[in-house]
Amino acid sequence: MADSKHIVLRHLDIGKPIIKLKDYEKRAGGYDGFKKAVKMEKSAVIDEVKASGLRGRGGAGFPAGVKWSFIPQNEPIKYVTVNADESETGTFKDRLIMEQNPHQLIEGALTCAYAIGAKAVYIYLRGEFWDVAHMLDERIEEARKAGYIGENILGSGFSCEVYTHLGAGAYICGEESALLNSLEGKLGQPRVRPPFPAQKGGGLYGEATVVNNVETLANVPWIMVNGADEYKKIGTEQSAGTKLYCVSGNIQKPGVYELPFDTTFRELLETVCGGPPEGRSFKALLPSGGSGPIVPLTDEVLDTRMSYEDCAAIDTIIGSASLIVMDDSVNIAWVASKVIKFFAHESCGKCTPCREGTYWLDKVLDRIMAGQATAKDIERIDDVAKNMAGITLCALGDFAANPIIHTIKHFKEDFLAMAEGKELAQAGD
Amino acid sequence: MNIIKGFMTTFKHVLEEPVTLQYPEQVKDFEKRYKGRHHLRRYDNGLEKCIGCSLCAAACPADAIWVEAAENSDEERYSPGERYAKTYEINMLRCIFCGYCEDACPTQAIQLGHEHQLSFTDRRDAIYIKDMLIDAPADGQEATPRQVEAGVYTQSIPNMEDPS
Amino acid sequence: MVTPVKEDTELVTINIDGKDYQVPKGGNLVDMAKWVAGNDIPVFCYHPKMDPVGMCRMCLIELGGVARDRATGDIQYNDDGTPQIRWFPKLQTACTQTVNDGMYIKTNTEQVKEGRESVIEFLLTSHPLDCPICDKGGECPLQNLTMAHGNGVSRMYFDDKMHLNKHYPLGDLIYLDRERCIQCARCIRFQDEIVGDDVLAFHERGRRLQIITNSDPGFDTYFSGNTTDICPVGALTTGDFRFGARPWELTEVPSISPWDAAGENISLSTRLDRDFGGKAMIKRVMPRQNEYVNEIWISDKTRFGHHFTRSDNRLSKIQIRKGSNFSESTWDSTFKAVAKTLKEANGSVAAIAGGSATNEDLYELAQLVTGLGGDKLGAWSPTHTGADLVAQVGLPEGSNLGELGAGDAILVIASDLEEEVPMWRLRLKTAQDRGAYLVVANGRNTRLEELATEDPNIKGRVVDGAAIRYEAGSAAAVMANLKKSNKDIAKKLADANHLVIVAGAEGLTLEGHRALVQSAANFLIDSGHAGKVNSGLLVPLPGANGMGLHYMGFSPETTQDIAANPPKVLIVLNAEILDDDPTAKTWLSQVDTVITLGYFMDAIARESKFVLPVQTFAERDGSFTNGERRVQRFYTAQGPMGDAIPAWKAVGNIAQAADLGRAKLSAAAVMVAIAKNVAAFEGITYKVLARTERQFPDVGGDDKYYGGNAYQNTGGIGKQIALSGTAKSEKVTVPDALKAGKGEIVLLPTTRLYDRSHMFIPTVMVRSRVSLPFVHLNPKDAKALKLADGDYAEVNYDGGSVRVRAVVSDDVSVGAAVFPRKLTEKATPLVPTVGTITKVTEPAQIEG
Repeated sequence: MADSKHIVLRHLDIGKPIIKLKDYEKRAGGYDGFKKAVKMEKSAVIDEVKASGLRGRGGAGFPAGVKWSFIPQNEPIKYVTVNADESETGTFKDRLIMEQNPHQLIEGALTCAYAIGAKAVYIYLRGEFWDVAHMLDERIEEARKAGYIGENILGSGFSCEVYTHLGAGAYICGEESALLNSLEGKLGQPRVRPPFPAQKGGGLYGEATVVNNVETLANVPWIMVNGADEYKKIGTEQSAGTKLYCVSGNIQKPGVYELPFDTTFRELLETVCGGPPEGRSFKALLPSGGSGPIVPLTDEVLDTRMSYEDCAAIDTIIGSASLIVMDDSVNIAWVASKVIKFFAHESCGKCTPCREGTYWLDKVLDRIMAGQATAKDIERIDDVAKNMAGITLCALGDFAANPIIHTIKHFKEDFLAMAEGKELAQAGD
Repeated sequence: MNIIKGFMTTFKHVLEEPVTLQYPEQVKDFEKRYKGRHHLRRYDNGLEKCIGCSLCAAACPADAIWVEAAENSDEERYSPGERYAKTYEINMLRCIFCGYCEDACPTQAIQLGHEHQLSFTDRRDAIYIKDMLIDAPADGQEATPRQVEAGVYTQSIPNMEDPS
Repeated sequence: MVTPVKEDTELVTINIDGKDYQVPKGGNLVDMAKWVAGNDIPVFCYHPKMDPVGMCRMCLIELGGVARDRATGDIQYNDDGTPQIRWFPKLQTACTQTVNDGMYIKTNTEQVKEGRESVIEFLLTSHPLDCPICDKGGECPLQNLTMAHGNGVSRMYFDDKMHLNKHYPLGDLIYLDRERCIQCARCIRFQDEIVGDDVLAFHERGRRLQIITNSDPGFDTYFSGNTTDICPVGALTTGDFRFGARPWELTEVPSISPWDAAGENISLSTRLDRDFGGKAMIKRVMPRQNEYVNEIWISDKTRFGHHFTRSDNRLSKIQIRKGSNFSESTWDSTFKAVAKTLKEANGSVAAIAGGSATNEDLYELAQLVTGLGGDKLGAWSPTHTGADLVAQVGLPEGSNLGELGAGDAILVIASDLEEEVPMWRLRLKTAQDRGAYLVVANGRNTRLEELATEDPNIKGRVVDGAAIRYEAGSAAAVMANLKKSNKDIAKKLADANHLVIVAGAEGLTLEGHRALVQSAANFLIDSGHAGKVNSGLLVPLPGANGMGLHYMGFSPETTQDIAANPPKVLIVLNAEILDDDPTAKTWLSQVDTVITLGYFMDAIARESKFVLPVQTFAERDGSFTNGERRVQRFYTAQGPMGDAIPAWKAVGNIAQAADLGRAKLSAAAVMVAIAKNVAAFEGITYKVLARTERQFPDVGGDDKYYGGNAYQNTGGIGKQIALSGTAKSEKVTVPDALKAGKGEIVLLPTTRLYDRSHMFIPTVMVRSRVSLPFVHLNPKDAKALKLADGDYAEVNYDGGSVRVRAVVSDDVSVGAAVFPRKLTEKATPLVPTVGTITKVTEPAQIEG
């Protein structure tokens, strides 16, 4: 797979980061896609992206072109917001794009802005990415000087500004409506939907807004240059293109890998990443960070393709493709307790089941980790987690319930061993 | 014959020990569950158990109890929680000694004791005020209110075993 | 009737638990289910007066809709001919749904039951369960809903509960118990959406999420008490009622706020109390729903200001002057002595009455004075006029400020409504939020101006407002020339569907205010708004019964006449003439005998021959006529204070002693006489005033969770007096504004909500919020006077002088100094006057 052409991580084909605009234009055909787009009808750009089958890379996998087409054309003010909050556990792909190939993101965002007629692009970065934000600011300035940003861009009559904005380091601000609240200077809590961000009244400052992930937009220039048909050829039927897979955990070669969607887990984990550490065997996998359902790494799972539809078939999600691998040395109850600690810390507190549920689960898991619990406690947290799922305002309630429900489903014996004190809690707590 | 039968009964009872007591010289022992006049209890540390919640008054079928509450401070502390009974009165003429107040009390502050000699020559005397109802502090203990260290009594409803 | 269904409302059909209902389109599902089906969907965070946020997740229901074919849009039918219903796979929150045609909901299924049970369980995991000592215990939504939907058994380890601060003061008035808080944000949203003072906020996140105040002083608003009513748990409690009584021990007595022209409907919660001699005592003041007047809100002054009714300085005995001393007396002998004095005056009798006297008191007083041959009935204070014009071009019967919205316009001129009539300011501000155009005209910056002109983007709402800032004292000229000098604004006002003009008297003499009110009336008549429902004139007359004074024949112009031609005997009812007006002592010295009926031994009482204690609104029956001409009755709530009796009774008995007919036996009987003799009151009886009707939203039932603890209106919604007369646009002569000579400055008295008046000062808990006396100057004027912000200054004026703090900012205009009334116990100017301000260098004591 390593020989395949990269769509997003184009700097890998070149062999060094593409930072400067000069390099981007010279070596990677920079801004060709945008130049092509501004000569097209706006609706044609949207249709092209729609036809490419590009799906949102943030986790939910919503078709990007469809999202763009929801924006009302006749509204005077519209915005594009780039979700660079990247706070899912085990995800580190957007940072790579922004650090190594920043102009591709800016180009993609501008193409989107042109397609929907947006006034401005806001790149919302998590608070810890302050250095990335500074670097992006320099790139934006560069693009402005080259005439890609500002008034009457490339003589098309289209005007647009690009800004970066730093969050304050909250997981929930990766959720689009909480992100918009945070961007407006409000408390980062999700909003009631409808109205959706794409509708008037639901987006940034009440205006229609497209919120897309960094990786999603970084795909757009390639599509504009090579066309939707070419793009559709890569990947699977319902998951077109390539995906950035972030591999971490008990694995020989962790890292970010751009591969087509039709790659199987086995190809990635065993062939590309070199398998589990010496003397160990795979036990379980969190394919979508802490928020997705855990799966035991059986042969059936390993032979599944890492696409949206194939993962759904094995009762999990590919999400943002942050694969956390666990080998047989890991007690899964410990994993659950770590993930719940994360969600208890990151729950925004707006709605009851998540706010109270994560706190409660964390407390009981503490008892389990201390070996002071019973089988009844395990049933209890299973039930509490099931009560949490499906009744919260945003998906975080489900995310926080997943690690409990699915870990208990597949690895109850780990919990029992931990609860009864048969196994010591692992160091690092 | 009948008359002999009758005298037999009489004679039998003459030999039995008499049931009648010479009250008030002699006083009968009461069963533990006997419900006499009320007491307001204290914790072992001498603070009042009553938190002035008025649930006894609400439960009282005879409307015999009157409670007014006030807020504790560390300078002037009556009970371990936030609230205490500023006024606590029971009208013994109204009371029917049903014990509902005892059942309703969330802190086991009010308990019905065994005293039953409740007679008055004035209706006003039948109103037992808090000073009459509350147990005296144990020997050597300071009465309430008392000044306590700040930050010890932080719970709104005290823990019954360890009142703080 | 206040309902969600108007004549032109489009109705849609929704199905609740298998039954079809017709409901107005666009309504909120929770509201509609309650209104039409009586289906109480449990809620914590949702409130019918605020936007839904879907936070608590308590209102879970099964939601579905009629299935339609994707392509054609046709309804799909089952085999048996019934429409197919497409149900959402997961439970949905009812509060975030607006009703639309073909909506199906189920509220009684097993899935719904389980969802609600788990939400209750989650809420209780962090709740301290200290119900026995909680002020909300017994009327607590969380308690009620736990009983209705909770599991009954806790699965949480008690030790795992979070322990937080239980007695955190958000301000002087409101305490927060952080353990009890369930983070529903009702308080935050109330302050933000309804009041516009967003002084509360969330801090932190997750389980650490907490309510904080971000103002200094904390919780800085005049409406803070309402948050305790809508708090669905005992997290917010008032310092006033803290541990005062258990809710089930309280007796609710319907009453009316005695403070201002809004006439807020209140419920006095009373209970017998040892500290009040075993008599019934007001333990707290709660709002009572009247959607025409105050909806379900009241201001903090109304809520916390009841302490004067029981204060130690209340007049409790009759005082009769003997030389320089007073001696006590009995009512019978006093009636005779007063009657004798009055008769001996040979008709040279006049009366001045204040705004806290009721309709009944005023009617009887007018009867007494006219019966004695006098004809002068003065209204106190002679600062505001125009009640006669409000009677002609005010808001017609059936009007409701709560219905103003898009397409309507409001002009507030020469009034600081925040300080004068806070409820009007709240309702007009919310009208602007609903889309009305709000114009605020004043000679200085006011809170309402800030609200009217704030950047609409900040709140994400489109609000339309404007401000006119004029030279101090020129309000009448501005109003008279509005069409010329502020063309665009005037056009927008004139073209509005409905127009309400509030004409205050700030910076104006009585003549100036007359000119302003007449100009405002002219504007309404010229624009065709006069007589139109929801359009009209409002004047923030001082006191609760300013309009009642007018209808009973009292006018401020007559007060000026009385001052110019003092009578032999003057009867003063609830008017603190000497405390209010430093110039009054000059003309009062020419009055032979003063008879005072009042609550306190104030300055005028100390100068009187007879001082008669009368009862406040709390201890008696009576009625007030509010600024919108709504006559509203209140009921006896509190035990009597000393020998005080209602004023109508005292006056009636004096009249009887003076052989002017038998005294009436009850307040109701006085109202019967009023209805007979005062044309405007025709048909009004206590029975009419006690009528109630169903109001939307349906608050105040046993389900405390829906609307909070505001009370259902059982005491009557009152009766609005119809407009009278045919008002014509009249020519206005605007009097010249006051001009200050060299070294002098014009002092402009303003009203402060929290002041040092006899009625308010007994409210100890608010005392720290009463501003120290100050004079507010423009930097230009201050420079001329060599004063800097924070300096001490002595203000000299006709009839006295006082030391105050100087405030310097350009919030006030040049050439005039804003000098609030009643911030010191000394009398300060009542109307604009010319005075001097000098800097005080030695360490000065401010006379607070």
